[in-house]
Amino acid sequence: MRYLARRTGQAVIVLLAAFTGAFLLLQALPGDAIMIRYENPELGLSPQQIAEVRERFGVDTPLPVQYVHTLLGFFAGDFGYSLQTGTPVRQLLGEALPHTLTLGGIALVVAVLLAGLIAFGSSLPRLRWLRDVLRSLPPLVVSIPTFWLGIMLVQVVSFQLGWVSVIAPGPVEGLILPVITLAVPLSAPLAQILVRSIDDVSAQPFVAVVRARGASPAWILGRNVAKNAILPTLTMAGLLLGDLIGGAVLTETVFGRPGIGRITEQAVGLQDIPVLLAVVVLAAASFVVVNLIVDLLYPVLDPRLAARTREGVPA
Amino acid sequence: MSSYLPLRPAAATLAALALITLTACAAPAAGPGGSSSGEPVEGGTLVYLEHQAHTTLYPPSAGFYPNGGIVNNVLDRLVWQDPETRELKPWIATDWEVNADATQYTFNLRDDVTFSDGTALDAAVVAKNFDLYGLGDPDRGLTVSEAINNYERSEVIDDDTVVFHFSAPSPGFLQATSTNNSGLLSAETLDFTLEQFAPGNSAEVIGSGPFTITEETIGSTLTLTARDDYDWAPPDRAHQGRAHLEAVKITVTPEDSVRVGALLSGQADYVRYVEAQDEAQVEAAGFTVYAPQTGGVTNHLSLRPRGEILSDIRVRQAIIAGVDRAEVVDTIYTEKYPLATSILARTAPGYVDTDEAFGYDPQRAATLLDEAGWAEGSDGIRQKNGRPLTLVVNEAAPQPRSFEALTLISQQLKKIGVDLKILKADAGSAAEAVRDVDQVQIYHSMVARADLDVIKSQFHSQNRNALLNLDYGDGSIGDPQLEDLLQAVASEADPQARLADSAEAQRYLADEAYVLPLFEEPQVYGASDRVHGVTFESVARPSFYEIWLDD
Repeated sequence: MRYLARRTGQAVIVLLAAFTGAFLLLQALPGDAIMIRYENPELGLSPQQIAEVRERFGVDTPLPVQYVHTLLGFFAGDFGYSLQTGTPVRQLLGEALPHTLTLGGIALVVAVLLAGLIAFGSSLPRLRWLRDVLRSLPPLVVSIPTFWLGIMLVQVVSFQLGWVSVIAPGPVEGLILPVITLAVPLSAPLAQILVRSIDDVSAQPFVAVVRARGASPAWILGRNVAKNAILPTLTMAGLLLGDLIGGAVLTETVFGRPGIGRITEQAVGLQDIPVLLAVVVLAAASFVVVNLIVDLLYPVLDPRLAARTREGVPA
Repeated sequence: MSSYLPLRPAAATLAALALITLTACAAPAAGPGGSSSGEPVEGGTLVYLEHQAHTTLYPPSAGFYPNGGIVNNVLDRLVWQDPETRELKPWIATDWEVNADATQYTFNLRDDVTFSDGTALDAAVVAKNFDLYGLGDPDRGLTVSEAINNYERSEVIDDDTVVFHFSAPSPGFLQATSTNNSGLLSAETLDFTLEQFAPGNSAEVIGSGPFTITEETIGSTLTLTARDDYDWAPPDRAHQGRAHLEAVKITVTPEDSVRVGALLSGQADYVRYVEAQDEAQVEAAGFTVYAPQTGGVTNHLSLRPRGEILSDIRVRQAIIAGVDRAEVVDTIYTEKYPLATSILARTAPGYVDTDEAFGYDPQRAATLLDEAGWAEGSDGIRQKNGRPLTLVVNEAAPQPRSFEALTLISQQLKKIGVDLKILKADAGSAAEAVRDVDQVQIYHSMVARADLDVIKSQFHSQNRNALLNLDYGDGSIGDPQLEDLLQAVASEADPQARLADSAEAQRYLADEAYVLPLFEEPQVYGASDRVHGVTFESVARPSFYEIWLDD
């Protein structure tokens, strides 16, 4: 219990730091969203009219006041309004989040399955002939840019072969290509880690002992090696969340899908600070939560760690 | 995450390469180009792809093309501007009267028009519309319409008569009532704040147009549904009654290659923003490329005379003589981007030809720079008092292929010893830099509006101030004569005198070497051959009203 409380406390501090850092960095950018929106061509407003708008949006209030005001808003669940469009940020994120969660969640599962397939496939003695091919896949795939993969899939699978529709697709149909686009580059580092761990664990003395007792190689791989090799992979999967978010920006843009990535892409271009601030905090929050889950899973997978956490030693 | 953004041009290039190789062997089974003959088919959903998501439905901010494409189909206007002849004709207003000094406009209205919420479009609501657009409401974040000058107040005479009063002559007002910026909203919608006009609330925005907004996914899709009882199209339009289509599904597809690919593969019917380099491919596949002109201030470079180097007219003239505009247009664009011959497009009202001021003559450019005291340095860049002849131009992100065009211009200028740097910055840095003549000496931009006022919009100190004639730092005006000329265009009541004022302003900008017009900017659309009845309003925003689809 104490372990859980401490980890939660850490999470809150991380979030506060992320908020503060993002707030300061975004303030330090040249120009501001009001300038971009109202002083740029589109409207042709006079300096006097722009001054009125600036006053209305309160952009020129002192920084500490803005900080406290924004922070209190966040605690109350009010993320303000998009400076570019005027849409409430909460509504913007609320409508986009399910799309991104679905895409990212399925892509992560697919990536883990794919990585497992490659790693265990290449480690099974019967598939020795496939070993080199499978093991050379991850380094190859790692170097494929996400956007390129996405565009190639759209062009070939959708436009040339006509197998799935990209424009106005059904809910499942619309996920197929984006999930592949996001999952394939994600699976490569996972597979690499998993292959390495399998090799490491296989070389350990206890495996030799099990083997000496007459266990089959497949049995060893499934029962003894896999369980131990999965831990580092799990850690990696948690860390890959950043890649997942970055990949979502590109995937959602290429496929024209609604989602957090699209919102972020637009907000970055237009320096829409309230939106960016909320996205940063959201990303930090998901990072913290996923890694918390990973940490909490450790003791479940490895009883030795469970014993230590019960004693209050951080895992 | 911004580090991913620079990848997008690369993505586009790669995709374009992929497309070329892939589509070479897969021409769709399209028949000979779509003809508009035959009986219109009723019903069907048009799949229309937008390049960017819309930002607001507040009409005075509808200038952004993604906004305009929606507003033009959902909101009616008092007056209809014939996109071909630019004549102003009845629409919601059956007729009108303007007093001699253009300070008072009286409109008579149709009495059978309703908004999609069932309320009547009468004189009171029209008055309420223009009170908001003419005066703005800073408390609600709602700005004044750029198209309306000197607005004072409205006066409702009876249910179908309304009078607008102006504090000074406002000759551009009649045309202004025909633009997207003056789209008519229901009384309830007019009480909205800026936030309520934002994406996410679009279906609540009520107009009297042929389509209503029925569904929205923020930043992604928008569905327009035809109104069955629509019966007040401009009498001069070919089609009357309800729209042929059942609905229009607008989908935002930012990636160029995906938009074009979707069109070619039949997943989309109609797309906006076909890039110059993709035109040939779209046409080769049997599809139609539409390139309606935006017909206002052309795509041009403003040579800002208040900067240290460009304050010398000889340097400005040298830069103009040193740019081979024909090569720029031929290399970077297609024949759908005609070479500009004035700061206004040929199709713009009041246009006069000032082409002789923009001739390519590198010899003369060199002589001018010599005379101005800029001598060739060791690295080929001219110098004066130890300072290099270095100028900065902004990349105009909203304009087509701005960076490519500027790169070529920079190469051309290098030949006469001018070092032109291109500022490629995020929106925030760019917005700040273009307001400072020490940071950006040459400003790349354009603006569309089918009225004489457009030239004032672009260059007047109280509007876009493209030449930075108004110094934002100290509030001073550099060239009062230019201010007066532009003011005259916007406030002269006599139409003939106004044309003369516009001609004079165009000549002045050319003679002073303030501007270097490049091309007359179109909006480029692609459509499949099952799409018939494609039309545009006066500055190239799409109208879905007359469109019908083959089965």
